[in-house]
Amino acid sequence: MSSPIVSIKGLRAGFGPTTVLHGVDLAVGPAEVAVLLGLNGAGKSVTLRVAAGLIPAWAGTVRLGGEDVTTLPAEARVGRGMAHVTQGRHVFPGLTVEENLRLGAYTLRRRDRSRYAAVLDSVLDRFPRLADRRRQLAGTMSGGEQAMLAVGRALMANPRVILVDEPSAGLAPAAADALVETLRGVHRSGVAMLLVEQNVTFALDLADTVHVMRQGTVVHSAPRQRVDQDRLTAELGIGRLLKGGTR
Amino acid sequence: MSQALVAGVVVGGIYGLMALGIVLVYKGARVLHFGQGEIGTLALFVAWWVVDERQGLGQPWLLGAAAAVVAAAAVSLVFERLVVARMVEASRLAIGVATVGLLLFLFSLELKLWGASPKYLAPPIEGLGPRVAGLHVSPTQVLALVSAAAIGLGLTAFLRRTDFGLGVLGAAQDPAAARLVGVPLARVSVFTWVVAGVLAAVAALLVEPTIGVFTAGFMTRFFVFALAAALIGGLTSLPGAFAGGIVVGILDQTVQYWSLGVPVPGLSVLAVFALILLVLLVRPQGLLGRAAA
Ligand SMILES: Nc1ncnc2c1ncn2[C@@H]1O[C@H](COP(=O)(O)OP(=O)(O)OP(=O)(O)O)[C@@H](O)[C@H]1O
Ligand SMILES: [Mg+2]
Repeated sequence: MSSPIVSIKGLRAGFGPTTVLHGVDLAVGPAEVAVLLGLNGAGKSVTLRVAAGLIPAWAGTVRLGGEDVTTLPAEARVGRGMAHVTQGRHVFPGLTVEENLRLGAYTLRRRDRSRYAAVLDSVLDRFPRLADRRRQLAGTMSGGEQAMLAVGRALMANPRVILVDEPSAGLAPAAADALVETLRGVHRSGVAMLLVEQNVTFALDLADTVHVMRQGTVVHSAPRQRVDQDRLTAELGIGRLLKGGTR
Repeated sequence: MSQALVAGVVVGGIYGLMALGIVLVYKGARVLHFGQGEIGTLALFVAWWVVDERQGLGQPWLLGAAAAVVAAAAVSLVFERLVVARMVEASRLAIGVATVGLLLFLFSLELKLWGASPKYLAPPIEGLGPRVAGLHVSPTQVLALVSAAAIGLGLTAFLRRTDFGLGVLGAAQDPAAARLVGVPLARVSVFTWVVAGVLAAVAALLVEPTIGVFTAGFMTRFFVFALAAALIGGLTSLPGAFAGGIVVGILDQTVQYWSLGVPVPGLSVLAVFALILLVLLVRPQGLLGRAAA
């Protein structure tokens, strides 16, 4: 594999006296979907938040396209091509869909405003539901629509890699399916992805590489085809994983 | 009665300006900025010192006003960088208390530098001005209402139409999400506090000619009215704050008008407090505020 777009090495982080990440190692290749699995509280969200710069790293490094961004603030990492859709998909509730998307392009518009219209069109093409609701306040939209808006807003920065935390959580099966299809499309367009997903079927369906976390460290990493099924079952405490196999 | 209405609209516009500042800081930092009024008073002292012929520099009013605005912006900037920016992790209440500290500090500073005797700042435009409903509206009052409305509209347009303005609104709704799209929160915070200070200075410059003289603490008296205006507007709505200012102004002037000769001081303040209570009881989200927004 060519040099990774995101590379996390020996990452330690926590809150006050509590260490949550005890040395996390993982990498996301260019145009790759890396999936991060693990039980509740394993440290998946914290890993993503440290990678995005929302929580400071105590030790270790985060590299983005070869550049060490460990000490850069979150707002600077976006401009360098890393977008993060947080768990609970925080849209700006009091702003319209279009204003949310425009804010998503905050760094893009500062660098090169002329590209904004094209990026907006491509995101609205990907999410026709958002196109129909441009003037609606984000806070009044359904959960599925807000999930789409959160992903769409992240794409407005024209990122090289997008960190997505449990996008399908709380969505009806149809909405979750639609979102997974959209993420697949995003991936096909060449954006790398680090995805945390509770729905293991979805996760393995999208994944190129699978990482499993337990208690603040990555305990198993493998290409999807070579994931140790028994290991996965044991780590996640679940039964049959791959009904009908992988695609 | 219609005189009280006209006067109410004029002072209401000024309360509205200060209320805009209160709402801006409240939205941005979830803090009530109690020092805001006194920043206005300090600005007034600076303007007086620049303009006054005998005790000051004897410069034109516009220069004094510019100096006042710069002073208000500078004090706000220093307070934001030295206090607010270092209290990111602190409770909102603690920052609120810090703004009370700022109020007391500025109050003592004014007394120390300029003493306790009332100061008089000449109005920007002399003359009687047009008659509206049997009442002379001074040119300064016309100026006050026009600038208050223009600043309110301008600020709203800035917040909605520019990327940075939208970033300010976004940061108020979800700071983490704002950071993740690249909005620089430190700059948003500076903007918020500085604009609030400048609004206080402008309000002070515009209201002083109507009152005539001022002393230390002058604008903090109006802060109560401005806070009422902001609360009536829902504390998070800029148009609501402005409309609230007009409502409070009319109430204030009407009560003053009817209670003329009644030997009970502070009746209009009492009326404003009653109105605050009523709004909080009947419509806690304010007239234009959204529920739980
Ligand atoms: N802001 C915080 N303050 C203190 N502890 C926190 C904070 N955020 C997370 N933690 C702790 O860090 C640990 C890892 O949390 P994290 O959110 O990363 O889990 P997760 O793997 O994403 O779980 P889930 O699948 O439930 O989302 C948990 O024990 C959690 O309680
Ligand atoms: Mg999580």
